Amino acid sequence: MNYLKKELGSYKLHMIKTDKFKTIKVRICFRRKVKKEEITIRNILCDMLAYSSLKYPTKRELAIKSQDLYAASVNFNNVRLGNYINTEFNLTALNDKYTEEGNFNKSLEFLYELIYNPNVKDNKFNEDILKIVLTDAKTSLESLKEDASLYSIIRLLENMDKESLISYRSVGYLEDLDNINSSNLYKYYKSMIEKDLMDIFIIGNIDFEEIETLIKKYFLVKTFKKLNAKYIVEEGKVKARKKTVIEKEENSQSKLAIGCRLVGLSTYERNYPLTLYNIILGAGDKSKLFREVREKNSLCYYINSVPNKLDNLIIIRAGIDSNNIKKTISIVEKQLNLMKKGKFSEEDLKIAKEYYMTALDDVSESESSLIDTYFMMEILNIDDIETRREKMAKVTSEEIIKVAKKVKIDTVYCLEGTSK
Amino acid sequence: MKEIILKGLDQNCYVETLKNGLDIILVPYQNKKSYFVSYATRYGSDINCFTPINEKRMVTFPNGIAHFLEHKMFEQESGEDPFTFFSKSGTGVNASTSFTSTQYVCYGTKEFENNLRFLLKKVNQPYFTDENVDKEKGIIKEEIKMYEDIPECIVENTLREAIYHVYPRKYDIAGTVDDIDKITKEDLLKCYNAFYQPSNMFILIAGKFDPEKALKIINEEVGSIDSVDPNIKIKDYKEPKTVALKEVELSHNIKVPKIGLGYKLAKDNLDIKDDLELDLYLVMLTTLLFGSASSFRERVRKKHLMTRFYTQWDTTKDYKTLMIFGECENPELLIEEVDQELNNINIVYEDFERMKKVWIANEVKMIDYIDNTVNNLYDDMIRYHKVVDNKIDIIRKMNKKTLDNLIDSMKLNNRSKVILLPKKIISK
Repeated sequence: MNYLKKELGSYKLHMIKTDKFKTIKVRICFRRKVKKEEITIRNILCDMLAYSSLKYPTKRELAIKSQDLYAASVNFNNVRLGNYINTEFNLTALNDKYTEEGNFNKSLEFLYELIYNPNVKDNKFNEDILKIVLTDAKTSLESLKEDASLYSIIRLLENMDKESLISYRSVGYLEDLDNINSSNLYKYYKSMIEKDLMDIFIIGNIDFEEIETLIKKYFLVKTFKKLNAKYIVEEGKVKARKKTVIEKEENSQSKLAIGCRLVGLSTYERNYPLTLYNIILGAGDKSKLFREVREKNSLCYYINSVPNKLDNLIIIRAGIDSNNIKKTISIVEKQLNLMKKGKFSEEDLKIAKEYYMTALDDVSESESSLIDTYFMMEILNIDDIETRREKMAKVTSEEIIKVAKKVKIDTVYCLEGTSK
Repeated sequence: MKEIILKGLDQNCYVETLKNGLDIILVPYQNKKSYFVSYATRYGSDINCFTPINEKRMVTFPNGIAHFLEHKMFEQESGEDPFTFFSKSGTGVNASTSFTSTQYVCYGTKEFENNLRFLLKKVNQPYFTDENVDKEKGIIKEEIKMYEDIPECIVENTLREAIYHVYPRKYDIAGTVDDIDKITKEDLLKCYNAFYQPSNMFILIAGKFDPEKALKIINEEVGSIDSVDPNIKIKDYKEPKTVALKEVELSHNIKVPKIGLGYKLAKDNLDIKDDLELDLYLVMLTTLLFGSASSFRERVRKKHLMTRFYTQWDTTKDYKTLMIFGECENPELLIEEVDQELNNINIVYEDFERMKKVWIANEVKMIDYIDNTVNNLYDDMIRYHKVVDNKIDIIRKMNKKTLDNLIDSMKLNNRSKVILLPKKIISK
């Protein structure tokens, strides 16, 4: 595998050559500092661009075109990365070897059309389509509670800190939909295209020179953009006393969501011991939480902990019976305390390292994961895969205990199920 | 071992059947780091009544027992915890139960030989006690309740209940909380002995591994196990051609109504007799009618009648059931649109040919990922009892005339309709 990065003025082109895949994947990223009031409009923009373009004015025509390109698939989405919101435009196309000469070129042109030639007339997006997209968004935001698991996480974060961007709803806000119209959407689009930071990733069995020429042909971006903020969110204040919030909903199962803050982590701790800490605590079926809450006490079917390095958080979640809420919380708290006291074995640490190494091996088996990895290296300046392998192997129990002491429970949220 | 070339995919595989009937399919990759192993039995929730080994009478077991068994298979007499064993080499382990099968999988990059041996050993040595069976009940109940809160699952389960009169397909794979309470270790052992015989099982491996070594280990671990009684008598349900219930309306804690439609088709009446061919043409039909490039979707979207919409085929012994699911503020209007589409089926030749191209491209894309490869071959083994090595050829040879004839033979008059409505808001 070879990696080459090119600075092309206003964006960086990242090319990864590997012969392990029959497809070529392209990801174009636009990102800027996240603002609460822009989340909804950015989601709508993504949906609009994926719905039609000037050349393919209906979703059907767009689908037919993508099928004609030997099922070249596109998908667009927004993800918040700490202080930033990142929009990904993804294309997956078969290598010409498995289709016909020029198919990839045409697929790239297709992606270009969708991003740069939207269905816009007189500086306005197509009204009919906007209406459909807005209606769909309204339905999905209105039925947010139907996904109890997601909803409980949203409510947890809002209870941790309503003002902080950690609690911004990535699905958007119902009340913001009314403010979106065809012309302000176009203005927002223009500003994204012209002002956002941009990166392009391409992975597959490619020729660097050919790809660079091709990319330069389609993506002629002239503005120069500068980075203006760091990615990692400022640490929030830990509450003097743990906050407990219980809300009721007519569900069979209660959704427990516990939010912990990470306080005072160094960059090294964030990238290394924290990862192992979390694997021991709550990732996978060998973790403390899985063993204690599920296997020993039969309290749940799923329980896990997920760190968000950029937001300085760890979130623990489980689906439990409403009669067992207190019991479960107390077991989780006990496990967090045992971690602080270093009550895990060298074997636990060894297993956590193996778990991580396998995950690293898996990265190279998927084009998307490889792009994710290079993207993180680009924006967070994290180590490459081989360095990570070496450094992670050297992490000690003491370093993990130090991290454990920096994990503070902030808020316990439970969406209590009230139906029998 | 017999070598089979997966045509058009730059990939070969090896197959072998042991004397005791165990099927082995090995797909070694040249350019991967990881491996994926699946050890499976053709036993799922569809079997709930059979004559246990050394017994004379049919016994009906609580629903959900195949799934319960899956949860208990990793329990060991030696106390050696499989999760610990696999995690020592960073290997993932999992299991799943469907209507027709149960599988145990492990996937990783290290210790292939030890892990394969361990997986086979564990599935071959059940250990059930009253205590460990009881302990699992709490876990499974939470699994059942998790799905009870997902509206799409409610619609799907209710729809199957409405379609089938007697087939166990009408029950949820995991059973109900009451079913689970009834299950005993004796029940589990009877089911295990009947359906975890090598003659009813197969092993699938894809990724980085040495096929010769894998075969040797499989032989050592499973080769000497006899299939005691390969011909277990399973209750042959006589399912009527009609649907059990034409209409079900229920309410739930939701905001947007959901629908489920089920069209039950007797396989006898259908113009295609080969199972694989039939599946391909049926999916082709629904993809053309309701897929992303269909005129149906375009029309319904413009009328604001759909936010979510998908179709699937439910296959049982004598029936193919088209299941359609959707989400819509005005469910009746959406149903009208579906009916209209199904009453005026018109296949366009260009659409048909384009879809073939898409399918072939997708076959090529999928082979890059070993879990996809295992899943595909797994489906082939369950549905067609063989490795389909010429799928691309079969797709290429599909023709519109055959589809038109199939459409002519389809009678869409046996329909179940399920509507899930929001609970009425009680005014203050």
